Amino acid sequence: MLTLQKIPRSIFALLFILLASCSVQEGNVDSGNRLGILHYGNGSEPQGLDPHVVTGVPENHLVRALFEGLAVKNPYTLEPEPGVAERWEFSDDKRIVNFFINPRARWSNGDPVQASDYVWSWRRALHPEMGNPYSYMLFPVKNAEAFAKGQISDFGKVGVKALDERTLEVTLNEPTPYFIQLMDHYSTFAVHPPTIMKFGASTDRYTKWTREENIVGNGPFVLTEWKLNRRIVVEKSSTYWDRNKVSLNGVVFYPTENSVTEERMFRVGQLHYTASVPLDKIPIYREMENTPYVQAPYLGTYYYLLNINKKPLDDIRVRKALSLSIDRDKLASTVLQGTAVPAYSITPPNTLGYDPPKLFGYDPEKAKQLMTEAGFPNGKNWPGIEIIYNTSESHRKIAVAIQQMWASTLNIQVTLSNQEWKVYLDSVDQMDFDIARRGWIGDYVDPNNFLDLFISSGGNNSTGYADGIYDDLVLRKATKASSRELRYQIFHRAETMLMQAMPIIPIYTYTSKHLINPSVKGLPSNLMDSLNLKYVWLDNLKKEER
Amino acid sequence: MTERQHFEISDLDSGISLGKDAWIRLRKNRLAVGGLVILVFFFVIALLTPWIAPYDYEIQDLDLGATGPSLKHWLGTDIFGRDLLTQIMYGGRISLSVGFLATIVALVIGVTWGSIAGYIGGRTDAVMMRLVDILYALPFMIFIILLMVVFGRNMLLLFLAIGAVEWLTMARIMRGQVQTLRQQEFVEAAVAMGLSRSMILIRHIVPNAVGPIIVYTTLTIPGVMLLEAFLSFLGLGIQPPKTSWGLLIAYGAETMEEYPWLLLFPGFFLATTLFSLNFLGDGLRDALDVRSAKD
Repeated sequence: MLTLQKIPRSIFALLFILLASCSVQEGNVDSGNRLGILHYGNGSEPQGLDPHVVTGVPENHLVRALFEGLAVKNPYTLEPEPGVAERWEFSDDKRIVNFFINPRARWSNGDPVQASDYVWSWRRALHPEMGNPYSYMLFPVKNAEAFAKGQISDFGKVGVKALDERTLEVTLNEPTPYFIQLMDHYSTFAVHPPTIMKFGASTDRYTKWTREENIVGNGPFVLTEWKLNRRIVVEKSSTYWDRNKVSLNGVVFYPTENSVTEERMFRVGQLHYTASVPLDKIPIYREMENTPYVQAPYLGTYYYLLNINKKPLDDIRVRKALSLSIDRDKLASTVLQGTAVPAYSITPPNTLGYDPPKLFGYDPEKAKQLMTEAGFPNGKNWPGIEIIYNTSESHRKIAVAIQQMWASTLNIQVTLSNQEWKVYLDSVDQMDFDIARRGWIGDYVDPNNFLDLFISSGGNNSTGYADGIYDDLVLRKATKASSRELRYQIFHRAETMLMQAMPIIPIYTYTSKHLINPSVKGLPSNLMDSLNLKYVWLDNLKKEER
Repeated sequence: MTERQHFEISDLDSGISLGKDAWIRLRKNRLAVGGLVILVFFFVIALLTPWIAPYDYEIQDLDLGATGPSLKHWLGTDIFGRDLLTQIMYGGRISLSVGFLATIVALVIGVTWGSIAGYIGGRTDAVMMRLVDILYALPFMIFIILLMVVFGRNMLLLFLAIGAVEWLTMARIMRGQVQTLRQQEFVEAAVAMGLSRSMILIRHIVPNAVGPIIVYTTLTIPGVMLLEAFLSFLGLGIQPPKTSWGLLIAYGAETMEEYPWLLLFPGFFLATTLFSLNFLGDGLRDALDVRSAKD
């Protein structure tokens, strides 16, 4: 008996020692608050750091820390404000913009940022050999599209000119209301020409210039360490023109692919900010007092790409049947824990006053009928298809739920396959899939950003959808529209066409979900979940106050 | 006294086969018998699952979601509202078959390879064991990924791939055993009697090495089950909605704070199986060890 009583006591003693030693050790958050270093969960390991090569949200955060566009978004209002350009002027017909480059703008090696750097960089961004998936961001510029498609080889004909060292003149095809917003997108960023040329031809992808010892940027931070799959460290730049406004001394980006691990890291004080929150944890965080959980509407759509060149998805009836048999309301309220809005089209609702068409809903009877017409009555003769998704807990859950919805409504076999992010991006680029999970986050607040995904030459189309009328509506008719209402009417027509052809299955509209440590300030929620590190600062609260 | 001795002698006269002898001794080991009973029970359940499972493992009830154990769902449901008991039963089918089939593959290849190399010795031994070394040096993940890429995703292939990786250690252990046994008098006697090499291996050497083989086999089975869970988690093995214990545990671990039963129950079944295997292996080793048989 005596020994039995002693055991728990010694365990308590042990626990106490363990707990005591825990509190003594300083976590990343505490040391970060002291040193002014933000520990940032960035979702996944970036594909690269070359602004003209990458796509994706994790890359966006990194590239915009290391580089700066002509104009940047204010995180509170999302209005463009001066970046590398101190101001810009539109001509009277709104077809010519002059950017006046800030004389204090510097590359991180000390060179001044010049207008000619932009001409050189935009040639690189648009060059067909570069294969930049976002080259279309510059298509509003005169002749840019023709150059990107190889129809003209003389870059001199493209509407961008350096009038002098500090003045960049851009000629547009049409008045483009959102053009200044595009200047905060990384594919329009300037890169440092001598650095690129040192490590290969101007249009080589994945050269060594993005290594930490080589890279030259013009953003508020410089790269100091890149440990693959471990962390990326950036430090406040000493050459950045607006450095007095930067209050962080550095940021450490973590490739937190597993949101469960990420949440644990947050809980033990290793992260200030998480890229996501595990769905199952949301109800618990919602109920907490002073919760670090922050949810906000987000300009993004979660959808499945259908490869319409492959059987059986080449049949429009099959595509419609698949889409009609997904019960999005149930998915949103159960698996997604009420953190998402069901989507029936690609553009998120109320995108700067634009609302997309809703052509269909959950209709299992119609879906069965369509499958019968397509030659698969009750799943007979079904060849079997595969859904690919990048490895993530929430993508798996959605796929498992949809797999079962299709199985129970249409009696068809669908297999799932998860892939690592880079492998997944490759599969999508090469259209090596039947169905692929996809999310699209708006690069600027305008329906055009969602609708021009599916133009026949779009680098992110990835479905095989190509329709001349659609291209014409989105690329030409809409840009010529004289008023916003007319422009939105044209978009509405295009989007109706798109959803009638159903090359994608829209599933839900995103909300942004993060855990944010209370010491992080200047990081407001906005529709674009846009991070402007220049505004972020850390309030070094005492433990008692927290 | 004399009567009893007499009885024993006549018992020996009538002859007890090696197997029966082992069985008698195994039966005396209560832990081993318990393990055996549990394993047999799990096997029977796994075999009968399609007929006795309370629910369809694919059917979801999203509105229900994750619920704890109840009268309707004895072990609760997962986040898709699927019955956990059903999931565990179907998962057991896959885990047990992967565990045993892959181990049998490893056992057959490993024992054959190791005993041949060990018995023949010399240059043959050197060549055969260097091959094992080379295969050891190959990163097995790459090997399995390659197999999956070339032959596509396939359950049977998964068994073979895991088995083909796991036999290496078995071969080494077997070779070591055979090398010591080869020097023993009873082998020399067998050689003197003019038995063929294969006969000596099968009748005299392998039965004497059964102890280490069994012990290592019982270690291999859990290893294989975990390997399957690992591969499935990476997207190379079982894919949803099919499941295995390893996968159930991997998913359960992610939500262990909110829905602990999703981790506890599959974990309980895996742990019970592994314990049973260990006890049974222990008992079998004692029972089958011919050297200690007539002590």
